[in-house]
Amino acid sequence: MMEQNQGANPKKIVAVQMLSIGVILFILGVTVLLQSPFGRMEPFVRLCSILSTGAIITAGVLFSVGGYFRLKKARGK
Amino acid sequence: MSSNLVITAVYLVLMFAAGLFFSKNIKNTSDYFLAARSAPWFWIMGSVWATNIGFLHGYLAHGGAAYEWGLIQANFEWFQGPFGYIMAGIFFIAFYWRAGIFTVPQFLERRYGPGISSIYSFAWLILFLVTIAAELYLGGMFLKNILGLPFWPTVFVLTAVVGTYTLMGGLGAAIMMEFVQFVIMMLGTMPLLFILLNMVGGFAGIKDVLLTQWGVSAQYFTVLPDIHHPYGPAPWIILGQCFVTTLGWCAGHQSMVQRNLGARSIYDSKLGYVAAAVPKTLGAFLYIVPMIAAPIVFSRLGIFVEKSDAAYGKLILNLLPQGMLGLFIAGLLSAGLSSISSVLNSSSTMVIKDFYERFLVKGKSDRHYFLAGRVATFGIIAASLLLVPVVLKVYLIMWLEQVLLAMVLGPFMGVLILAIFWKRANTAGSLAGFLTGGAFAVFLQQIIGIQIFFQIGFGSFAVTLAVTIVVSLLTKPPGREKVDGLTWDSDFMAKVGDVVAERAEANGTPVHVIPRPRAVRPVWYLNIKYWATAVLLVQIVLLFFFG
Repeated sequence: MMEQNQGANPKKIVAVQMLSIGVILFILGVTVLLQSPFGRMEPFVRLCSILSTGAIITAGVLFSVGGYFRLKKARGK
Repeated sequence: MSSNLVITAVYLVLMFAAGLFFSKNIKNTSDYFLAARSAPWFWIMGSVWATNIGFLHGYLAHGGAAYEWGLIQANFEWFQGPFGYIMAGIFFIAFYWRAGIFTVPQFLERRYGPGISSIYSFAWLILFLVTIAAELYLGGMFLKNILGLPFWPTVFVLTAVVGTYTLMGGLGAAIMMEFVQFVIMMLGTMPLLFILLNMVGGFAGIKDVLLTQWGVSAQYFTVLPDIHHPYGPAPWIILGQCFVTTLGWCAGHQSMVQRNLGARSIYDSKLGYVAAAVPKTLGAFLYIVPMIAAPIVFSRLGIFVEKSDAAYGKLILNLLPQGMLGLFIAGLLSAGLSSISSVLNSSSTMVIKDFYERFLVKGKSDRHYFLAGRVATFGIIAASLLLVPVVLKVYLIMWLEQVLLAMVLGPFMGVLILAIFWKRANTAGSLAGFLTGGAFAVFLQQIIGIQIFFQIGFGSFAVTLAVTIVVSLLTKPPGREKVDGLTWDSDFMAKVGDVVAERAEANGTPVHVIPRPRAVRPVWYLNIKYWATAVLLVQIVLLFFFG
């Protein structure tokens, strides 16, 4: 039988993925928020822009928090 | 520096950093090629959909085609795609799981031997190389046109970002990024639909202007066209595209299947595939429906569009404000990068598992193949980069893709269906059927001159079925090792766990790496039957209104 490396912990992999996804979405959402000239947009476009960016930031926060707690659990702390 | 450029740069840096961060967790071939079989169903859902959407298949080309042909382009999103996902998820994925494989060709090899599997693998590798080169080219052109960035440096940056996270993190990193890209595409690009509908007075407003005032044909708003439509009549779409080419794509495309094999359980794998039909259906609202409204907007703003492929880019460039446009660019880049990473990861898996490990260097340690996987990833991205100047003509890429897919998908569906549902199908029959079917596809396309892709697919599928059955009946039946655990049985699900464990052990993979299927009944909202039924009902409603 072939020699086999000890594989990664699947629960830790999912936790790291969740945390990374959350951080990427959050930072990207905040960057879009800071770079958007909301004052110069038409009202309906502004509403769509705020909702879209807000949804991405919210998803980022939720994934970050979920990933952090999963990672803590997977590490056994 | 413009805010759009800042957003794009931040997004690329984040992906690069996250890929490196994730790669610390990857330790062996199972981690690298199958993400340690860790992915929950929602990862699979997002990843499968993001894999399917790129510059070639999605916003730019698909959206451009909708601008030219109308709502008929939505038949991929509202009819064939969801059907393909559901059928592949319910009927085919379980067999791949049960075989304990890494690649689709490995399944063909177990069932039929190495001949057919090598041909299939080789055809997909060529297709994958061309796809990566085409996506890099389209990504470079897109950023050049929208942000004014120089072409080649942009292509190198894109290659470095997607190459690094896929090379270092393998399937796990690719799935992670694809999920990010899925969220950005869904939340970041959906507002375009509402902004457009608000401008033109809703869907009724679009119909009123196009049908009543401009005198456009009613076929522009039909998903299933009539018998005289140049796109191809509805019965052929159902027979050829839905049951053969799209189903073959969903059940035989290594990138799509590999994501499912990376799931944490067979149930997550199946549910993920079935659930991917939901974003697939919604995809039409991201790049098909907006492009139906685009002619009205272009007319009002006095914009001239010379090529339909450029329509989507012109639409967002003229309509969206700073910031939001940056998010759109990130969303569209996501589509391209997710396609590249998935194809790149799948290509390296096929190179290592279907050729290197089988023919070139046998019996080495797991670490050897793990490192070889990274070298293969690097080699493939480098080769694709060299191919970029060759594929400068988009029509050439599309032509090559259509030829290869027509040659492969019809025959593949023929031998796959017989592999699973007919125990008598054997190596000689399948090889004869596959080659004859492929040759018949080329004959239809190049000699007879049939250009409708799904007619070719159905023709080659039918020929493959007939030849495989006849030759199999004339030759010896397959041995038990080619049939047991790989074909349909009434007690199929009961055997899944045993066969997976037995095969994993025989391969030298520790059994604990491949989790046994869950026996517990899922909660109602995770029931595959409910998801499949709900999606199919939505398809019926959509076809009722737009069929």
